[in-house]
Amino acid sequence: MAPKNFEVIKQEVKKAVAAIIEIPESKLTDDIKFIEDLGIDSMMALEIVASIEKKYKIVIPEEDIPKMRCLRDIYNSLEKKL
Amino acid sequence: MSLDLEHIMNVLPQRYPFRFVDRVISFNEGKREITCIKNFSMNEYFFSGHFPGNPVVPGVIMIEAMAQAAILLYAALKPDIAATKPDFFLGRVEATFKKPVYPGDTIVIEATASKLLESSGIVETKAKVNDHICAKTSVAFGIKKHHDRYE
Repeated sequence: MAPKNFEVIKQEVKKAVAAIIEIPESKLTDDIKFIEDLGIDSMMALEIVASIEKKYKIVIPEEDIPKMRCLRDIYNSLEKKL
Repeated sequence: MSLDLEHIMNVLPQRYPFRFVDRVISFNEGKREITCIKNFSMNEYFFSGHFPGNPVVPGVIMIEAMAQAAILLYAALKPDIAATKPDFFLGRVEATFKKPVYPGDTIVIEATASKLLESSGIVETKAKVNDHICAKTSVAFGIKKHHDRYE
C-alpha cells in the first residue's frame, strides 16, 4: 500500500481534533492555540494524543505533549514520526 | 502492590454505599492491567428501586465500578501521584452493555491502561460474569490536586 500523502493525514488529524474539541473544522486554523484560544484542557489533550497514536500507530511521549500548542505543532511532530 | 481491602480503601476516595470494588485479584505492571471483583448481593440499596420485583444492577453502577477499577490501575502504575490523594473525575465514558447483571453475581473487571499521563488517563475495561462479557467501557478521566477543583 502506498504511503498516505501528508496533506491527507493533515486533513484527517484536523477532522479528528475538531471532533474531539467539538468545534467546526472551519474554525480550527493551523495556528489557533489549543489552550489560550480554544480552552482545551488536559483531558481533551489526552484524547487528541490517544486518537493520533491509535490511528497512526505511533507513541507520543508525555514530555512532547505540552509542545503541541496548535495544529501546526501536531503536523510537525507527526511528519517526523511517520 | 498490595491487593487487599486496606489498599483499596486507601486509594479510592469512594466509601459505602458508593464503593464498587471489593478486591483486587491481580495486577500486571508489564501489561498495565489490573483485575478487580465486585460481588453484588441482594442487599445492595439500589435493587429495591431498580427494579421492584426485577432487580438488575443499573448500568451507571456498572460504569462506576469500572471507573473505580481504572482509578486503582492508575494508582498502581503511578503510585507517587496517587500518594498525594488527588481528585479523580470522569471526562468521557463510552460504554457497551451486553448482558444484565443480577443480585448474587460477581463481576470480574479487567482494566487495561490505554494512555496514562500525570493529569489524565484513558483506561479500557471489561466486566465479566462467569467469563461472559457483560459490559465494556473506555473511560477518560482527569487527575487534579485535591484543592484544584474550584481554581
